[in-house]
Amino acid sequence: MERTGLIEEAAQIVSNEQAAERLYFIELRSPQIAHAIKPGQFVHMQIPGMPDKILRRPFSVYMADRANGVLTILYQVVGTGTEHLSSLEAGQTCSLIGPVGNTWAPPAGARCLLVAGGVGAAPLFMLAEELAQAAQGLHVVLGAQTKGAHVTLASYEALPNTTLAVATDDGSFGHAGFCTQPAQDAIASGNFDYVAVCGPEPLIKIVAGMAQEAGLPCEVSLERRMACGVGACLSCVVDTTAGKKRCCVDGPIFQAAEVVW
Amino acid sequence: MAGINMAVNLGGLHMKNPVTVASGTFAAGREYNDFFDIAQLGAITTKGVSLHGWEGNESPRMAETASGMLNSIGLQNPGVAALREKDLAWLEGKDVPVIVNVSGHSFQEYVDVIEALEEDVRVSAYEVNISCPNVDEGGMTIGTHVPSVETVVGMCRAATKRPLIVKLSPNVTDICEIARAAESAGADALSLINTLLGMAIDARTRKPQLARVVGGLSGPAVKPVALRMVWQVHQAVSVPLLGMGGISNGTDAIEFMLAGATAVAVGTANFVNPRAALDVVQGIEAYCEEQGVADVNELIGALQC
Repeated sequence: MERTGLIEEAAQIVSNEQAAERLYFIELRSPQIAHAIKPGQFVHMQIPGMPDKILRRPFSVYMADRANGVLTILYQVVGTGTEHLSSLEAGQTCSLIGPVGNTWAPPAGARCLLVAGGVGAAPLFMLAEELAQAAQGLHVVLGAQTKGAHVTLASYEALPNTTLAVATDDGSFGHAGFCTQPAQDAIASGNFDYVAVCGPEPLIKIVAGMAQEAGLPCEVSLERRMACGVGACLSCVVDTTAGKKRCCVDGPIFQAAEVVW
Repeated sequence: MAGINMAVNLGGLHMKNPVTVASGTFAAGREYNDFFDIAQLGAITTKGVSLHGWEGNESPRMAETASGMLNSIGLQNPGVAALREKDLAWLEGKDVPVIVNVSGHSFQEYVDVIEALEEDVRVSAYEVNISCPNVDEGGMTIGTHVPSVETVVGMCRAATKRPLIVKLSPNVTDICEIARAAESAGADALSLINTLLGMAIDARTRKPQLARVVGGLSGPAVKPVALRMVWQVHQAVSVPLLGMGGISNGTDAIEFMLAGATAVAVGTANFVNPRAALDVVQGIEAYCEEQGVADVNELIGALQC
């Protein structure tokens, strides 16, 4: 596959707002990457002000406003890097490398099912935007721990030609329990030709197994600890039927059938 | 920057400037060519290559630590034939010498890799990796004992007339003893340091952060150790040194040259700043201009104690 060029760009923070407990949206002015990025690709961010944490951190991109050159990232505070990121303010600058990685590749004309757990809703949204423009229909299953954690729901609800199934682990909204049940229902309906899934790896593995059982092609977006983010260091490899592949540039999207879990 | 001589001679390898990259941090350059023309470097050092390729270690293979990182990649590589077909083919015609980092599980495998490359005119020099801490056979197990250093370097020496650089491990009691052994067995130059053996633990899960438990520490955290070893080895041997360990900018590189390095390699900094190696070239030039240094060779070992 022909590689698209990587760009390093100094991106100014437009906003950095908390959306729910531990969940934040950050908007970054990054015109070159916003112009080039495709659904499922990510950026490798150097978070300023952490002198003893030197490595960049990968973040999937939720939305790209090409007209204004702004990327939106949904992130969850899980460690010192994201904790520090949440303290940054509009006007500060982050270096981004991007767009990194491959893109979702649903078969042309496929009736698509997208399954997202937690912040996994972010890297599926640009794919959903594209698919919603086609008439063949799109069904999205969104799971989160609580009603309040469904911070992308309004964006998905605004998509045309799209049906939604929503689940919460605590039963505060939609289906009570993990989103694996509505995903199973959708797969069992026989109405879909393709499944895309992103979220915690146990969820990905379960949904990929369901799709495989039903004989549906399934793509998964994976994450691994990364150092370079450009394909050089081999830190982030994923075990596949064709050997070890780099999550950063050979992925982050893999055919579920090729992943050795 | 007219007038400043930036060219150096690393044991017979002519470099237009003293800057290369640390093996394993730059693949064969292609991944970084989006960010700058990699032919602007003094040399490209490729990822370690074995005869038939290795799978490398289980994941997780990397952990961030204070001012650095641990890796336990385990020399994953597709073998020397793939290096020639893909990487050397891509590098062909670029105006930059290529140092191939040679790895082996046995003494003979190092020689086999060199022999597979001897007819290939796209190779300018070899860096013999007897210092990788992430493999069970070969690597550091060879490079930490004088007799095995003498044997493997002697065998590689007999296999090639090309510049032979031997990469040393810092995980030894006396690096000068190892350096002298490599020199006496025929090394044209020494590179140092490889990574320092370390580990990281997740207190919450009570598990090691790396699947292999231990890994190699690199980044700014190791720079003082690397500088000290370059300085000691410079006094112990007469062959030129390729210094590395936490170099992120021109000033870091100058410090290594003052300690005795003829050339320097940029490693972990490539992950932080994809233009780091080029920034180091330009930083050295800027230093020479500011300090009135006409020839970068004047800096080698010019530390005033």
